[in-house]
Amino acid sequence: MLPGRILLAGLRRSASAASSVAQSPKNMCYWDRVIWSSRYFHSASDNAFSEGGSKAKELPDPFALIKDEVSEVTDRLRSMVVAEIPELTSTAGYFFRAGAEGKRTCPTVLLLMASAISTDMSDPIVGLENKPRARHMRVAEITEMIHISNLIHDDVLDNADTRRGMDSLNFTVGKKLAVLAGDFLLFRAFSAAVALDNTEVVSLLATAVNNLVTGELMQLTITPAQRCSMDYYLQKTYYKTAALISNSCKAVAVLSGQTTEVQDLAYQYGRHLGIAYQLIDDILDFTGTSASLGKASFSDINQGIVTAPILFAMEEFPQLREIVEQGFDDPSNVDVVLKYLQKSQGIERTRLLAAEHAKLAAAAIDDLPASEDPVVLSSRQALKDLTQKFLRRTK
Amino acid sequence: MSWRWALARRVATLAATGGGGGAQAQRLLPTSSAAAGTGLLGQHHMPLASQIRSKVVGCRGAALVSSRWLHDAQYQVRQDGASRPQEQQDPFELVADELSLLANRLRSMVAAEVPKLASAAEYFFKVGAEGKRFRPTVLLLMASALKFPLSESTEGGVLSILADKLRTRQQNIAEITEMIHVASLLHDDVLDDADTRRGVSSLNLIMGNKLSVLAGDFLLSRACVALAALGNTEVVSLMATAVEHLVTGETMQISTSREQRRSMEYYLQKTYYKTASLISNSCKAVAILAGHTAEVSMLACEYGRNLGLAFQLIDDVLDFTGTSASLGKGSLSDIRHGIITAPMLYAIEEFPQLQEVVDRGFDNPANIEIALDYLRKSRGIERTKELAREHADRAVKAIESLPDSDDEDVLTSRRALIDITERVITRTK
Repeated sequence: MLPGRILLAGLRRSASAASSVAQSPKNMCYWDRVIWSSRYFHSASDNAFSEGGSKAKELPDPFALIKDEVSEVTDRLRSMVVAEIPELTSTAGYFFRAGAEGKRTCPTVLLLMASAISTDMSDPIVGLENKPRARHMRVAEITEMIHISNLIHDDVLDNADTRRGMDSLNFTVGKKLAVLAGDFLLFRAFSAAVALDNTEVVSLLATAVNNLVTGELMQLTITPAQRCSMDYYLQKTYYKTAALISNSCKAVAVLSGQTTEVQDLAYQYGRHLGIAYQLIDDILDFTGTSASLGKASFSDINQGIVTAPILFAMEEFPQLREIVEQGFDDPSNVDVVLKYLQKSQGIERTRLLAAEHAKLAAAAIDDLPASEDPVVLSSRQALKDLTQKFLRRTK
Repeated sequence: MSWRWALARRVATLAATGGGGGAQAQRLLPTSSAAAGTGLLGQHHMPLASQIRSKVVGCRGAALVSSRWLHDAQYQVRQDGASRPQEQQDPFELVADELSLLANRLRSMVAAEVPKLASAAEYFFKVGAEGKRFRPTVLLLMASALKFPLSESTEGGVLSILADKLRTRQQNIAEITEMIHVASLLHDDVLDDADTRRGVSSLNLIMGNKLSVLAGDFLLSRACVALAALGNTEVVSLMATAVEHLVTGETMQISTSREQRRSMEYYLQKTYYKTASLISNSCKAVAILAGHTAEVSMLACEYGRNLGLAFQLIDDVLDFTGTSASLGKGSLSDIRHGIITAPMLYAIEEFPQLQEVVDRGFDNPANIEIALDYLRKSRGIERTKELAREHADRAVKAIESLPDSDDEDVLTSRRALIDITERVITRTK
């Protein structure tokens, strides 16, 4: 906690500065940065006090810390997907419209990571610091475009009618136009990546794209034996969910000119965060918004997708394996599996595994080179808080 | 365009049956027999082995075998002492060996952890228009046509190593182009819900649909990796533009309004995007990789662009005429899908009443007959052929404007490129 008088002095200072510039780290002087970051820490303790001592400590919202810059990313994305013909612009920009942007987890994580590893935030006035930040924002934009392109294709493949609480793109304009929009976004992202003029970054992003496809393929062509394999499942999960964020985190580190150790730490954070996220997702598909089985969508298992909770249950009840191998075209199989799942420790063990990955992600942040800069510190804290937030989410 | 539809249907069936239809293999047999020296060589019998192969692997295998056979036969002929005129040499032959190398490289690049996908994608690399791998051939010939002269003394030296490296990179462009082309075919033929709702939603078809999308995605992502490996910003941005154009062209085709469908300008723009942009951007990429000036790169681009346009215009004609010279014997798949191409657009200029017929749509076959009637009366076909000829001539001019060279290889390749323009115009399938 910062001494109260310094805090007060800073508050007066920033009030008198009366800056009309958006409050983001890149255009603040030192004291403003102290205030900005301390606001984050204080919000945490404020929440804890106001909610009463017995309640678990409320986390500050990591998303809130960086939301202005993320909004900048979204705005820029809208202009980046303008195509030669309006039909293409509207399909490609479908998920960038106001209200359709989703949580924007990818850009949030990436921009926080950029701040967390930064070693050159000392003098924001001299344009030097702004330049790297701009390039990081490009990475955030590119990653979001790749992510959306993947979502669009996934919806086509799954025949999904809804996404993010609204009609899916394929539901709105048909499969073909959706597929084309996805392709367009992918290559726009790729062009933007190439414009960064860093071959390693381009390579990382191309790898991520490749991994996304590989993951989907692993899902589509799974054999009965593979369906029962935890290793296969974890590999597929890495490809489908974690590969993009982990490679982009590394790309951010590469762009910052960080050492290979730091690059690897950034990568590890992304990887563990992604896997933890997916594991919780898998649980929620069974538990939904209630803590017990029976209120959720069960869309995974109904599509024949076997996830971690079931795989853990299979370890306890070997007889489950036979049913899983049969597949789930027969809906009675689904009921049988759910019964076993309820009896088993499947859900709990998955939660433990997710917590393990969350811990590893936080550990990666802790291993970053020490820094005194308040923005760096608060960004790192936010990244760690994000892992906890993912573990606790209920939808 | 008709052959694209035929190929697309095969993807859906491939996932299920794992084989090729014999009837369609026949349609896609190469014209190499027609092209080179049938008079001298007499009856062209396809070796039995390749007949079997054409049933198993599709016509690509057959094409390879027959072209190899033809090559040997030509060699035989030359050995026999008759002085064959230069034009008889099949331009596709010049790079046949290199193409095999590329095919093998592509096959291993495509060998994903998932065999099912590899076979679907690989199938396409074996087949192309007239059974030949059109685009890679043009690109490799262009690479040769643009070679900088190497003096004899540097054989095996540093410059020669660099030349080899360059060639490999240019081959990579050919591979990438082919991957993008096949991916676009796979994605273009993704069925819409409307089609599946007509009751054809069998598992095979859906599986084929999913596999189409994924296979296309896979190819595009591999193309990204390969492009990244080239490490040349300008080249990547050219190919990215090409992909964007492909997508734009296809979107234009799906979402044309009635007014746009009447416009020749819209049609030509769409044609450029869908057919010519890829080959012209990759020709330019080949030139840029070689380190040529902007002027030379533009000439390469011009060649590709005009060749692509000529190709598509003749394709449009053939969709009406087929292998016969008379109208209506072609597959008519364009008009059946409501796609109005150049011949029809020219006919509408001559007979405005045809516009109404076109607007009624072509679900009713009687309407097709009426439209064909007008087309027959008009100069639509001729004018389209003339336009194609114009573009072919411009392509030739681009080659002729390239900087002079004494290198035999370079000159042969340039002649071959010119020869290709001729074949594109005069082909009958």
